[in-house]
Amino acid sequence: MKSKLMIAIAAMGIAVLFSSCAKVPQAEVDAATAAIQEVKDAGADLYVPEAYQALVDSMKSANEKIEVAKAKWFPNYTKAKETLAFVSQNAVDTKAKSEARKVELKAETEAMIVEVKALVAENTALIAKAPRGKEGREALEAIKSDVAVAETTVAEVEALLANGDLIGSNDKIKAAKQKATDIKAELEAAIAKKGGK
Amino acid sequence: MILGKKKKIRWLIICLLSVFVVLISISVIIVSQKELPTDDLRLAREALSEAKEAEADIYSDKIYKQSVQMYDSAMVNWSRENTKFILFRDYTKVIGFAKKAKKGADEAKEESIKKADNLSKNVDAAFVNMEKKIELYNKLFKNLPIPKSVFDAHNKSKMFFSESKIAQGNGKLKDAEILFKKAEIYANHANVAAAKMLRDYFNDYGRWKNLANDAISASRGGNKVILVDKVAHILYVYQSGKAIRSYDVEFGPNWMAHKERSGDKATPEGNYHITKKKERGSTTYHKAMLIDYPNADDRVRFAQKKRQGLISRRAGIGNLIEIHGNGGRGFDWTSGCVGMRDRDIDDLYRLVGSGTRVTIVGSIESLSVITGGLDF
Repeated sequence: MKSKLMIAIAAMGIAVLFSSCAKVPQAEVDAATAAIQEVKDAGADLYVPEAYQALVDSMKSANEKIEVAKAKWFPNYTKAKETLAFVSQNAVDTKAKSEARKVELKAETEAMIVEVKALVAENTALIAKAPRGKEGREALEAIKSDVAVAETTVAEVEALLANGDLIGSNDKIKAAKQKATDIKAELEAAIAKKGGK
Repeated sequence: MILGKKKKIRWLIICLLSVFVVLISISVIIVSQKELPTDDLRLAREALSEAKEAEADIYSDKIYKQSVQMYDSAMVNWSRENTKFILFRDYTKVIGFAKKAKKGADEAKEESIKKADNLSKNVDAAFVNMEKKIELYNKLFKNLPIPKSVFDAHNKSKMFFSESKIAQGNGKLKDAEILFKKAEIYANHANVAAAKMLRDYFNDYGRWKNLANDAISASRGGNKVILVDKVAHILYVYQSGKAIRSYDVEFGPNWMAHKERSGDKATPEGNYHITKKKERGSTTYHKAMLIDYPNADDRVRFAQKKRQGLISRRAGIGNLIEIHGNGGRGFDWTSGCVGMRDRDIDDLYRLVGSGTRVTIVGSIESLSVITGGLDF
């Protein structure tokens, strides 16, 4: 009887011992935190903000799960570990998405720079052919200035791109393209009108 | 005796174990009765996520930041409580912070949506206003000989406006607003400078009107009178009070000014007469008709401005202002003369003779007629 009691006490002791041995998965937490930082450093908060936010939310959820586990008699970090593993894995994907978006934006901006430069050259050639109506000189001077603004913007975009401002440069070159396209349409319409007379 | 002692020990152990089991059971009951902050934290996190999605970090940054701090405080407190012995943990503060975080996040989201909506409406209204400014510029000022700095400002304003529209299209309303403000600064600069120039020029309208009316009256006797409208870029031939001819004409690049001195590329305004007609071969401009600039008024004005130091002492008053051919170029290219297409000068040359009165005015029409009643 005595030995049975001793076994029961020992079993309880072991149970308590085991329960206190289930430790916070600090290595996984550190890895996930580092992964998120790496993703942020890659600009994911700017280039894929939704994916980045989802990652941050998942990390918060993992932290909550850790605390839930810690609050129990017998902590079980399995769920927290699963979420942390998801964060670490998803961070890799998010970083890849961010890098891809950056490449895509850069390529798009560079392509548009080429397009705008070509449009500026076309517009300069069209100005020479443009009819010089009653408003001629002033209107053409204004158009020349418009073309110059588009040209200056291209230079600004190139500087932004060199500084790594992919979003700013992309927005700016879109505006420059719009402007150069409008000028071209204006000049072509004027030339067509002249031809029709 | 020994048996009795063993029995006592056994009973003692049983009692102790019973007490232990009872204590454990009570602890488990207490712990299980304790409210964990799990749901509150989850709700707060979800609310923060939604607030962020509604760009509360931009439009309601103060409340949003406070809510984030509340959530972080809840987590820190939860973690701290969890380090205590299980029976002594108290999650009241944690739950309080979490509830505050959720409430704040909800408020931030609501405020953000409202602010974004208002900003969107403001930006829309501002865009309409800007379109009007650009339209006004194109209608009134685009064809005036305005300084390069002014049309450069106008073009920069259009570029920023375009960037602003792109930002708006991408849902970046704050960026759109910033870019729009830049566009507005340039647009205002361009429009104000051009409007001032136009208004200043039309300060002489009363004099022009008198000159024009006088010229038309002078034609009533059957004499032909030439009336030149600089703003309209039209040369009229009046006879018996009626315009019998009109021709498109060109001037010098500084046409929106009265000629004051040699080389200012301005066309004089006032009453003049044809003093000499030049056939083909005696002019490089197909045909030409010299007018008597400077007249007496021009000389008085020139002398006065020279005295006032407004004109360089070395400057001459200028001469050789003609109505001549080689025009139809579509821009104001002369050195102050009135340029016409060759076929037009041929016609005019036949129509008028030496001594014909030539009245040159800034505009026959008033500024309000020219601007079509536009408020600028």
